[in-house]
Amino acid sequence: MTLLLDELCERLELDYAAYAGVNSIDNSMHALVNYPLSWKQHYQDNALHMRDPTLLHGARSQAPVHWGRLKNDTLYKPMFSQAHDFGIPQQGVTIPVRGPFGDKGMLSVTRRMQPLDWDKHVQRILPDLQHAAAHIHDLVMQQGLIMRAMRAPSLSSRETEILQWTAAGKSHSDISDILSISARTVEVHVRSARFKLGALTTAQAVARAIGMGLIYPM
Amino acid sequence: MILVIDAINRHQHEAIVEDMFRLRARVFAQRLDWDVKIENDMEIDEFDALDPVYLVGLDENANVVSCIRLLQTTGPHMLADVFSDILQGEAPLRAATMWESTRFCVDTERLTTADRGQGSVARATSELMSATLQYARDCGISDIITVIDPVMNRVLKRSDNAPYGYVGETVQMGKTKAMAALLDCTDERIERVRAFAGIEGDVFVDEAALIAQRETVNTPTETTAEALAQYFIDQIDSAASVDELRAALEIAEAVLGSPKLGRQLVGNTNASSEQV
Repeated sequence: MTLLLDELCERLELDYAAYAGVNSIDNSMHALVNYPLSWKQHYQDNALHMRDPTLLHGARSQAPVHWGRLKNDTLYKPMFSQAHDFGIPQQGVTIPVRGPFGDKGMLSVTRRMQPLDWDKHVQRILPDLQHAAAHIHDLVMQQGLIMRAMRAPSLSSRETEILQWTAAGKSHSDISDILSISARTVEVHVRSARFKLGALTTAQAVARAIGMGLIYPM
Repeated sequence: MILVIDAINRHQHEAIVEDMFRLRARVFAQRLDWDVKIENDMEIDEFDALDPVYLVGLDENANVVSCIRLLQTTGPHMLADVFSDILQGEAPLRAATMWESTRFCVDTERLTTADRGQGSVARATSELMSATLQYARDCGISDIITVIDPVMNRVLKRSDNAPYGYVGETVQMGKTKAMAALLDCTDERIERVRAFAGIEGDVFVDEAALIAQRETVNTPTETTAEALAQYFIDQIDSAASVDELRAALEIAEAVLGSPKLGRQLVGNTNASSEQV
């Protein structure tokens, strides 16, 4: 699964990415990182996750946490001076994800670059990071059997209806005419269905919904 | 001005957070008669324990005039867990780039007295709404699903901020009704709302300045006036010649100019004259 992080770093021009999550059903902790091996080892050996301000604040946030906001935290300096020794940049953002059953995940990303450039870069990639964080969290949670059963997608009848029209080859604006709702309302329902089905594309969502018998192939 | 409060900075703004919970109690329990829990005049529910983001509108004296609460739709949120009536038992919309906003309210009482003549309620609403859309956009969020009552829905429509869609049904709740409306966090909508209300520049509070202001407010201004009066009294007392005394008196009268202080100074002057 760390390949997912490599792919993400490649696509969004990042140096490193790290995911941490807690399955609230079996209380298992999960971590995925593509940091250099030496830092990974140091982090593990010293149980730094207990003193990592990005994790502690990320776990209590709904909005992305820009690491610059944590500078006044007493844990910030010890953590980042150690990270610095291993060549880990100080600029980063942590995207928290809340799951429906009290499960929580966090995706942290970082890149060495000029602070102003970094701010602009983050601003541009944040929507992608939000999707990526939710997607990775979902994949990790699906590894737990109970969680997987609980997370079985529950589509609303509107989402099912819109996905059914999509399967029939209708565009958002066609569907908006058919159902007398705005095209953006159609789009958010498709987006929600994609998320619930763990799909990255609408075509994938349609295929999965057909596979699960939620809609009919046309 | 709008202050963003979350788990990271909440400890610095506890008084504002409590003020916000009191505003919510006045609006949702007293005015709208919704079935909400009130403790110590504050309305707090289980979603406030999830470390939500609050956007709080403050007037120039840092009084809370409006507020809104934001939660991710991928996690527990009101439409999924409490407002299921609105969705008629259907599953809620869930997406990484969609947040839910709830407990959206504006203090009509405080605004009608303080900001009369500025179309205050609509303006405070537009300021909070545009700030919310802007903040969400800057967090990578593209849509907000907001639980509102029909009055707020009309305010949104009239302020060039009409929802692009609705989800579920409008249902009775207390003295009013509740509905779920959709708003996009696009630059176009943000600009429209700002233009309608004539909002220019940054509406977000400079947090450092707010905290600094709070510290100066804690020092009563009377102290400054008293210190100033004492300074002139000392000047008059220590005058070594009639010219110095006259000069000190003139300055004191020019600066202070109040009859009460004048009398106080005259009394002291007599004492000083005797010494001279």
